[in-house]
Amino acid sequence: MEMELRIRFYGRLADAIAPEIELATGGCSISDLRSRIASDYPVVEATLGRSRACVGDSIAGDEQQVSDADVVEFLPPVSGG
Amino acid sequence: MSVVALLEPQALDPQLELAELTEAARGDGAIVTFVGLARPESKQGNAVDALVLDHHPALTRQSLQDIAVACAERFDVSHVRLVHRCGTVPAREPIVFAGAASLHRRSAFDAINYLMDRLKTEAVFWKREVGDAGSAWVEPTEADFADRDRWG
Repeated sequence: MEMELRIRFYGRLADAIAPEIELATGGCSISDLRSRIASDYPVVEATLGRSRACVGDSIAGDEQQVSDADVVEFLPPVSGG
Repeated sequence: MSVVALLEPQALDPQLELAELTEAARGDGAIVTFVGLARPESKQGNAVDALVLDHHPALTRQSLQDIAVACAERFDVSHVRLVHRCGTVPAREPIVFAGAASLHRRSAFDAINYLMDRLKTEAVFWKREVGDAGSAWVEPTEADFADRDRWG
């Protein structure tokens, strides 16, 4: 079976999209991934722009390349207390 | 020096947390604590039944630990104890306990001020208020960011 990139969302992104989706990308940058998600789910475009991307619990810059074996997480602005 | 940072999925009892901190602070002269409560009303004036705190399986605990350790290293305190709820917190119930013990009061006051300012903008939680009007996400305000930035 063809592997697909797993993308996890939190907070309002999970609310608007789903806690997790899978996409076949064939490899792409975080920036490409942001564009694709914003295109598929226009309602989250603004929130996605303010969200951090993480791969393996580390912040991933927009230029970072990911493969379909990766798990990418998008974290909207956080607030505790 | 000790630093305790806990993520609590069940009810948080501030008196128990204070007792733990007091036990640890035997040689100190001051304990300062802050207890945050889930507000029963939103900023828009809608009734809030509960606050729901989503968290990340790894990064949330790490953020609590990092903030508590930075607090302990920055101020002249002997003990820092931070307990933060996750999950559903009914209105009026405690959401966070932050306590610091020190030889003299000023550093414990400053430590808790710092801890809470960083928690508001950096602790990895996503909060939404749930009530009759539905569900609304809550994010840090400009004032929250300004409060954090004053620590440099």
